[in-house]
Amino acid sequence: MAQDKKIIRRQIQLSFWKSVGMAWQSIRVRLFRSILVVSGIVLALAFLTYVLSSDALFRAIALGASPELKAELERQGVLTNFAANDATIQSRWMAGLALMISFVGILNAMLMSVTERFQEIGTMKCLGALDSLIVRLFLLESVFIGAVGTTFGVLIGLILATVEAWANYGSAAWWTMPWIKILQIIGFCYLIGVVLTVGGASYPAWRAARMQPVVALRSEI
Amino acid sequence: MSESDVEPKAQGPEPEANNAELQDALQSTEVVRAVGVTRTYHLGGQPVHALGGVDFSVRRGEYVSIMGPSGSGKSTLFNMIGGLDKPNTGQVFIDEVDIAALDTFELAWLRCHKIGYIFQTFNLIPVQSALENVMLPMLFGGMPETDARDKAVELLTRVGLKDRLLNKPAQLSGGQQQRVAVARALANDPAIVLADEPTGNLDLKTGEEIIHILESLVRDDNVTVISATHDHKMLAASDRVVYLTDGKIVDIKHRDELKITAGTIRGGREE
Repeated sequence: MAQDKKIIRRQIQLSFWKSVGMAWQSIRVRLFRSILVVSGIVLALAFLTYVLSSDALFRAIALGASPELKAELERQGVLTNFAANDATIQSRWMAGLALMISFVGILNAMLMSVTERFQEIGTMKCLGALDSLIVRLFLLESVFIGAVGTTFGVLIGLILATVEAWANYGSAAWWTMPWIKILQIIGFCYLIGVVLTVGGASYPAWRAARMQPVVALRSEI
Repeated sequence: MSESDVEPKAQGPEPEANNAELQDALQSTEVVRAVGVTRTYHLGGQPVHALGGVDFSVRRGEYVSIMGPSGSGKSTLFNMIGGLDKPNTGQVFIDEVDIAALDTFELAWLRCHKIGYIFQTFNLIPVQSALENVMLPMLFGGMPETDARDKAVELLTRVGLKDRLLNKPAQLSGGQQQRVAVARALANDPAIVLADEPTGNLDLKTGEEIIHILESLVRDDNVTVISATHDHKMLAASDRVVYLTDGKIVDIKHRDELKITAGTIRGGREE
């Protein structure tokens, strides 16, 4: 009996790499929509990375600055602000907001892409696809989209923050560069980016997978 | 339950003698059996009795058409047989296995290996080529990709689409799409092919070609074909026609009782 169950499971299994291929294919075919979703993530992540890393860069410059630069910063009043932490709180708010907006955007885009494929999902279920396979296909798709979007977003955010620091404080931006902190920020932003996309995709994917094939087939858009 | 566990074994290697015996036993059994099946839907709070106690059975290698006006419960019955829907009361047996007793894995296995579906709207995966569409059920069934490809080419050749392997569904005519769907339905050598109005979206000639392919499956490969239809051409090819009205079977006609209609249409095609 247990043996037979195993045979049954083996006979309804699509290989992981094949499903990666299918997910990739469906992104490629819907290139325009995919680019829209990706750009939403790029914007959100670029903003988040920018806010976090420019903050880190500024702290490093303030700590390691030469006496002349410190005096200059003092005169501009930025060091006082820095102490009061105003700018940081404000920008964290902004980053949080950007994240929320892109989460809703991603959820909406993934919902749409699932809804327009109800018939396809119904057909696949008729052909013997397991619920878990449907979920896997949609999640893989979102992981691709999330990874690409996050990579570009983080890159753009970092470049912007560095260029801005360099423009304001000159070469100090380079020799005080807090590499470890920057790496931590990159890691954090990657985590956020991927969690955001996979989180946004998991509800529609779960809904799609649980549909009765009949209902999925009958649905018209 | 025990029978459901026998089936996967039948796919694998088995002693020849046993296999022949098993084949004999299976030949004589009914491949689909519905017992007192009822199904009620709720539409806007109102109960709709789509099926009110249907009993019927289909033998292996039989071509059965289910006929009835829309709203007669035809599609509901069809979905029950296909394991796409479960009855409220009564039972549906496929190869003597009660489908209500199957878990998700077994149900997916059944849809993958036992049943081939053909739909009125073709339902091909739009982003995949004809070849990939036909390969899909085999890949779901765990067949290695190269084997699946070879078999898909063979099946598409059989339905006359040898030159269209890499075309996407949108680049194919309705008749060609339905042929791809037929090839896909045959991918895992199913015991039953379920066709829901397979000629509904096709013109007369292409419809006849599809019917002809289905007929050859029954005659040459001993596949059981069950189709829900409005199409009188389809009846001519059937061994048996089940008439459904208001969720109940009102008449069952055998091939010989359908002779006059059958003769006319058959004659037409052979000319």
